[in-house]
Amino acid sequence: MTTWKEMLKDDIPAEMGKLIDTYEAQMELRKQGKLDEKVFAEARLRKGVYGQRYDNGQRHDGVRTRDLAYPSGEVVKGPDTLWDAPGMQRIKIPYGGLTAEQLEVLSELADEYSDGILHITTRQDIQLHYVHIDDTPDLMRRLAAVGITTQEACGNSVRNITACTLAGVCHDEVFDVSPYADAMTHFLLNHDDVQDFGRKFKVAFSGCAGHACGLVKMHDLGLLAQTREIDGETVRGFTVYVGGGLGTVPHQAKVLAEFATEEELLPLTQAVARVFARLGEKKNRNRARIKFLVAKLGIDEFRREVEEELKIVPHDARHTAYINALSDFSYKPAKAGMALNGAPLPDGFEDWYRSNVYRQVQPGYSTITLNTPLGDFTAQQGFLLADIARRYVGDNIRFSVEQNVVLRWVADADLPAIYHDLCEIGLGDPNAGTIVDITTCPGTDTCKLGIASSRGLTAELRTRLIEKINLLPDAVRELKIKVSGCFNSCGQHHVADIGFFGNSRRSGNHKMPHFQVVLGGQWRQNAGSYGLAVGAVPARRVPDVLEALTERYVAERGEGEDFQTWVKELGRKEIKAMLQPYMKLPSFEEAPAYFSDWGDSRVYTIDDIGVGECAGEVVSLFSMEISKAESTQFEALLALDDGDYKLADEQAYKAMVQAARALVRTKHLDVGDNYDDIVGEFRSRFYDTELIYDRFAKGKFARYLFKRHEGAPARVNEDYAHQIIDETQLFIENVHTAEQRINGVIVG
Amino acid sequence: MTIVPKRLGIKFSLKRQPTLEPEDILPIFQRWIQEHRVEGMLIDVIDYKHVPEGPGIVLIADEADFAYDLADGEIGLHYIRKRDLPGDLSRALQLSFKSALAAARALEAEAPGDIVFDFSAAKISFFDRMRYRNDPAVFENARPALTNLLSDIFGGTVTLARVYDDRRAVFAVSCTVAGENINADALAARLEENRQSV
Repeated sequence: MTTWKEMLKDDIPAEMGKLIDTYEAQMELRKQGKLDEKVFAEARLRKGVYGQRYDNGQRHDGVRTRDLAYPSGEVVKGPDTLWDAPGMQRIKIPYGGLTAEQLEVLSELADEYSDGILHITTRQDIQLHYVHIDDTPDLMRRLAAVGITTQEACGNSVRNITACTLAGVCHDEVFDVSPYADAMTHFLLNHDDVQDFGRKFKVAFSGCAGHACGLVKMHDLGLLAQTREIDGETVRGFTVYVGGGLGTVPHQAKVLAEFATEEELLPLTQAVARVFARLGEKKNRNRARIKFLVAKLGIDEFRREVEEELKIVPHDARHTAYINALSDFSYKPAKAGMALNGAPLPDGFEDWYRSNVYRQVQPGYSTITLNTPLGDFTAQQGFLLADIARRYVGDNIRFSVEQNVVLRWVADADLPAIYHDLCEIGLGDPNAGTIVDITTCPGTDTCKLGIASSRGLTAELRTRLIEKINLLPDAVRELKIKVSGCFNSCGQHHVADIGFFGNSRRSGNHKMPHFQVVLGGQWRQNAGSYGLAVGAVPARRVPDVLEALTERYVAERGEGEDFQTWVKELGRKEIKAMLQPYMKLPSFEEAPAYFSDWGDSRVYTIDDIGVGECAGEVVSLFSMEISKAESTQFEALLALDDGDYKLADEQAYKAMVQAARALVRTKHLDVGDNYDDIVGEFRSRFYDTELIYDRFAKGKFARYLFKRHEGAPARVNEDYAHQIIDETQLFIENVHTAEQRINGVIVG
Repeated sequence: MTIVPKRLGIKFSLKRQPTLEPEDILPIFQRWIQEHRVEGMLIDVIDYKHVPEGPGIVLIADEADFAYDLADGEIGLHYIRKRDLPGDLSRALQLSFKSALAAARALEAEAPGDIVFDFSAAKISFFDRMRYRNDPAVFENARPALTNLLSDIFGGTVTLARVYDDRRAVFAVSCTVAGENINADALAARLEENRQSV
């Protein structure tokens, strides 16, 4: 029977195909118990394959905790993560940009492998939920065939690189950051220097200082477009921010470099990555983000480290090669720009136009935002949206960090028609970017760390606010609400006017879902300041709290006074006093509804909270690299079984080189990919020094590598293939043993 | 064509709009987990009612999903078998129809007279674009076998039609029993009869 692998073999870039094959081999090794569960977990996460709530095999059904007896029994895909349990697939969409064809494939995957829903994340990714791990290799192949990768979508590596959705069409930007985000995505993907982090690393680009879009100040690395006059010429570059982040302990990023030119951008980023890998915390995952390293060293010392590192960053032609290609990055609108022509407008158009349409800097064009509830849309909507894109804008589709779909390059004359068409597919809601358009993380719906139902609360607030949106004064309409299911800030509650994050309190013998209220965060100025936590209220009282806050703001605000200023002037003490009446905890007998979360009829419990995978697994670089060698060796075995002896030989050889490289990189990170270099370094560092020597066999296993490196035999038959695979196995074991002896530890 | 698809969906639509709102289904599905009201290893309930014409409220199980589905402007019970489909399409259909019917009847029992399904018609979805591309040729190729298999299930002559013209959409077939008003008992009896004859 045909497989997706066979069907798409000519469409998948070779390197992407290899990575997926390796992952598939690792899956098989894990199922056979031949690959350590932590190593596999990190390898899986780096493919964007995430765990989900209840994947430890337990769920509280409102009465008791029940065991979920998944069919594969005790087989795990990571610590305490059962193989058959549904998981989440995160899919990177660099700077949120995609084509109509890519949207179609994403939609196909949603209804074949997931539950028919595509979810836009706060970092411009797509997430599919309830995906079985066995389906993930084919899912990745189908994505790879249209140029999408899930590589490093999770795990301790460089996550999706984000950028303003208005980049390239904005009135206020210094220049379009999209091609830079694109170049950096390609440069850092699978780069050797981003494989040994203690935690994830998030990068964002912004085209201007004033607006919110890029949020550079809350990122591990933020790049803010700037120009300078140098020798009479306008030179493009970036102010480089480092060490920002939300999470439990939000940090504002510090300026690492006031101005890094285009030529300096990639090497500087690489140097930052190397310093993070070298000096960042590896054991305590709660302190492992780069923000803690920057805070610990201080920005001046961190800068000094980066400058020193820059001096030894190996030369790489890609550092500057991308600059020549920047001019190739262009947009192809579907139609010529044309002003609205005075034709009759559909019902509801004016409200929609007011909130969802942005007039581009290019005359005759607009960018429109599709108010996508909770970031969700169906596969069917995805197909029809692809049609609408082709009809009106071509491939100019983006996902926003506010979890909306954005269509750029709409000819103004088409606005009434596109509005009509969007209404037809249920995506014509007005109020994008208003108080109705709430950002939320998955929370207790699917996240293992969720404490309260962020999506349930968001759906409730949204429903209530839509009913009265037209009665709200502009000052309230324009407020931003963001909701997280726990303190980890995936819903970005710190940078909202009004943020909420889930927690719980005890009342009698029961737990009650709560939300901490966070006020006065600043979305503008690239997440310019973070809000104040002012108190936790029962989840059921949040709508009342919102109403009280907004009414008082409207009543007391000074002329033109924004929410942040009002909150600051009112003060935490007064706000706390205002919330006090809502903080009272009724008993279970008095108000049983308070003990159920929004959108969940079960009696509330925190028993379902698991161990999150956001932090990845702290696995040594060696473990990750040697696991690749093991999966390649497994592929050699498969080739042997298929009677493809030549391929078996090639894979076995490759596996030996990968194993050697894994060991070499523990001493020399920059060994590169060249086989001669790897074998040479291995020989001088481990063979000539006898460090690789086995107690009895001495250097025999290493010589298997050297022999094969001299060349393949003229004729490769079954016996030979068998032999070299056995030798490879022995060599890999030898490397494992040597590494333990030399470095003392494999898995951190 | 009688290849078993990767996933197989059966949707029974309601005869009329119920007074029950989609949010009222959420506690029902949560209780079903507690009471193990439908077969399978029941995991969780997810709420998608905010998505227009979406999957509505979904009871997620290991083997299958049970959706109080809002797609195509028709509220219904959409059973999607995800795993452990028998290797024979006839048996896969029988199994899926049986499970879909059991869930639909269980839902009817929650709101007698309000939630009422039309069991003389169903939408059958083949979630497998590798083997079942949604195009007319695939439909024509599959039609004879599907007509036989579904006639067996319904115990009468069935009329089949492609549900979606869009080639990108899932391959789905509407099946209607001509001139007959099949009720749940009759359909259950047919499925039991077929099971015994297999």
